[in-house]
Amino acid sequence: MSKEVFSQISPSEFFYRNRDLAGFSNPTRSLYTSVREFVENALDACDHKKILPDIHLSIKAVNPEQADPKHYILTVKDNGPGIDPEHIPLAFGTVLYGSKFGLKQARGMFGLGATMAILYGQITTNKPVTVKSCSDGKTLDEFVMLLDIQKNKPVIQKHTTKEGSKTGLAVSIVLEGDYSKAGLKIRDYVYQTSLITPYASITFEDPSGEKFHYARIVKDMPRPPTVIKPHPHGIDVETIRRMITDTHYQIPAIDNKMIDKIKKELSLKKNISHKEILERAQKRWSDISRPVRTVVSVMSFLNIDFEGLKKIRIDDIDVANKIITYWDFGESQSHAVELNADSPYYKQLASTVQGDTLLTFLTKRFQRVGPTTAEKFCEFAKFKPDKRIGSMTNEELVKLADALQKFEEFLAPDPSCLAPLGEEPLSKGIMKFFNPEFAAVWQRNASAYSGFPFIVEMGIAYGGDIPPNGLKVYRFANRIPLLYDEGSDVVLKIVNETEWARYKIKGDPPLVIVSHICSTRIPYKTVGKENVADRPELERELKNALQYLARKLAVHMSRQGAADMAKKRANLYSKYVPLIAQFATELAGKKKEPNYNQLIRMGSEIEEQV
Amino acid sequence: MRLKNKSNAKTAEARKKRLLSMLEQQGLNIYEHLDKGKFPQFVIPSRSVSNIVYDKKIRQYILGSASAVRSSRNMSQLRSYTQLAWLAFFVNRLVREGKSSTLRDIYYSSQAFSIDFEDQPESDNIIVDLEAVLTSPREEFHIFPEERSSVFGDLTIEYTVPGYEGKRMNLSDHPDGYLIGPSLSSAELVDTSAELVIAIEKGGLFTRFVEEKVHKKFKAIIVDTAGQAPRSTRNLLRRLNNEMGLPVVILADGDVYGEHIAMVIKSGSANAAHLRELTVPDAKWLGVWATDIEKYKLPTIPMTESDIKRIYDLQKDPRYQEGNWKKQLEVFLKLKRKAELEAFSKYGLTNITDKYLPAKLEESKSF
Repeated sequence: MSKEVFSQISPSEFFYRNRDLAGFSNPTRSLYTSVREFVENALDACDHKKILPDIHLSIKAVNPEQADPKHYILTVKDNGPGIDPEHIPLAFGTVLYGSKFGLKQARGMFGLGATMAILYGQITTNKPVTVKSCSDGKTLDEFVMLLDIQKNKPVIQKHTTKEGSKTGLAVSIVLEGDYSKAGLKIRDYVYQTSLITPYASITFEDPSGEKFHYARIVKDMPRPPTVIKPHPHGIDVETIRRMITDTHYQIPAIDNKMIDKIKKELSLKKNISHKEILERAQKRWSDISRPVRTVVSVMSFLNIDFEGLKKIRIDDIDVANKIITYWDFGESQSHAVELNADSPYYKQLASTVQGDTLLTFLTKRFQRVGPTTAEKFCEFAKFKPDKRIGSMTNEELVKLADALQKFEEFLAPDPSCLAPLGEEPLSKGIMKFFNPEFAAVWQRNASAYSGFPFIVEMGIAYGGDIPPNGLKVYRFANRIPLLYDEGSDVVLKIVNETEWARYKIKGDPPLVIVSHICSTRIPYKTVGKENVADRPELERELKNALQYLARKLAVHMSRQGAADMAKKRANLYSKYVPLIAQFATELAGKKKEPNYNQLIRMGSEIEEQV
Repeated sequence: MRLKNKSNAKTAEARKKRLLSMLEQQGLNIYEHLDKGKFPQFVIPSRSVSNIVYDKKIRQYILGSASAVRSSRNMSQLRSYTQLAWLAFFVNRLVREGKSSTLRDIYYSSQAFSIDFEDQPESDNIIVDLEAVLTSPREEFHIFPEERSSVFGDLTIEYTVPGYEGKRMNLSDHPDGYLIGPSLSSAELVDTSAELVIAIEKGGLFTRFVEEKVHKKFKAIIVDTAGQAPRSTRNLLRRLNNEMGLPVVILADGDVYGEHIAMVIKSGSANAAHLRELTVPDAKWLGVWATDIEKYKLPTIPMTESDIKRIYDLQKDPRYQEGNWKKQLEVFLKLKRKAELEAFSKYGLTNITDKYLPAKLEESKSF
């Protein structure tokens, strides 16, 4: 196996290379993004531990007299589980590279976004980050840290410990921002986040000292998402390659630790001969671990004992060409030894090095795939079920990924990894926020696009305190408000395509639509992650949800219309019937007017009979 | 002296009685409905295009048998129902008190009774509705249009309007002619020495005809229709024809509109298909014909797009399907040029009365 060299880049370089992607392109956007990252981390932490969140956000200008853009102190405090003191420097003082193999719905990818915010603060103001954490409810640790940008290591400037009373985390950074421009978006963000997180209490204190408080509306936490394996339809070639490497056998490094491990597994007391080692291994073969089997197999081919083993480094085991390449430290040169295909160890080596069979790989690493489905798939994809995944060529991997996409007999993805808000909390949130004359919510059943499960929740509210300024759409994805790039979003598309007149909605109605899409992967259109692409499956679910709610609204509107109509009728008949009576009396040459009261009453009631 | 043919005429007084009786019937009907807690309604003959047909027998447009109900039970009709009831009530007052009104005056009068017409076209429409309900022209309701045409010639009338009852007047006493207004329309026609009625489209030529003593030379009553003849004028022409037995001839511009002015006097308009007594089926169109343009070498001007479109429209009208009416339309379409009555001035100011009129009157004896 060839060695690849990764060139090291400094985190600040990393930051500058990725600042646009991560949402730090200018002081306005950076302030907004930093608020989001910290607030979302705080909410995620509380969700994770099933704690009803209490979030305090404050933004204070370092020097209020100065003009924007200027330095701001951004502080986000939560009542979450906190972080163990020993993990704090690493969690906040280094650029983390998170790896996610399991799938579950979360607001953000923990780590990167917050670290980018910290890094941005440090780069623009050269001020440290302050982290206060209490994870046991007794002690409060406070760290003041800088990132050593060259070494990607935290530099702790101050660490104090004092008595704490409840768990929680508070992070405070100083950064360059432009609140005059970002303020509206941030207030919007806090408002909308409170709407979609009715179980949280959120307070925001802005630079002018004004407080925006959103009290907790419901006391029940929504069911938390579970971590699940990926669905075959949601997989591309690159993901398969990563999954195989992950399962794939790695050539064990041979060191004293490994030799001790072999001795332990074979219950060897002292150095014994090559022959004795192999005999002992044969007897216990089924009990010993894979790395040990591999090393013993190598020892058999190279015909060496432990002493010999210590002098070499295995570089490559090329099963296909039956060659082991190793480096001899003593001779300082590389050797290649041919493998005897008849040896029982060859098969062992081959199977170990080449990893699981395709059948095992499919059933073990994917959701909703059992042995029967796996076999059917192999037949469909024209792979042998016992094909070793480690032996697959690039072309075969592409073919495999392609077939995984196309095979239609996989069951729909498991939605248990999703955490929709639920109809009741959503409804309560809408009632509290808009105090409408009419509201309805609906949670659709789980559906999937390309192997990613998703659930659409939607709410509609009409009249009441909603101003008659036309239709307003609040878009959410995984409990995050989407505030930018509204125009090209799939939800907006669906709403705009709706013929509202059919639902008795005209002009600039006092109408609010709340749309929440939950998915392990939201199909964002752009890296900005503010607008959702129009996948057909998603579009269909959104459309169904909206139509259902619009019909409910139409029923309400009809009822309302009928009541209005009855009132209008009553007014009209009270106005016109006496006039008609007056004219008819003179025309007929009568002195006394006819008794028309009965007719006024009938006229007012007639519509309900029809 | 030609005396009025009484047996053939409804006197003004008789028509008034009939109208008042119909109004009272309507009033009683509504009154009883209200008293019994029933929704009153008007039955209005439908004036939609599909219900307007040409009656060859009486030679005018008439309404078919379809009718619409305007009911106070229907909320969307309640307002226009009340408007119609008000108009009947108001007309009753006008007729009883012998007062006259105009279309515009009706629109403004409504406001005093909390009857809200949105605009004058809406009140005009309600007036037409009442005409249809009572099958009487609005002139009998004492409602007149603002525009008025004139009449001149030896015709003695007797007023019936309050304050002038029994007073007689000869319509050749004033050289400007007499306005065909409410009092003239309601007057009895007593006698005349005239043997002919000449209806002419334009006021300028009407004056010329008076100056040239056409009324004497041709023993004629001259009527200025001022363009498309108003209903009171058409009604007067009909009465001159019917009651006094005078033939009616029409002179209009040499274009498609002139031809149609003659046709409307002769056989009515689709707009007034709900009414009778507005036509003179034996009236004759003297000219100016399309063929006269060539025959008399008249100076012409080219037709406009809308002139030509109008020809195509009229070609679909059942009354233009035969004879001279059809032929003249075709010639107009071929020429694509038109001539005005004034075109005769090219050959001298009196050419039209000295040459053209006698020639055409002579010619008219043969059609």
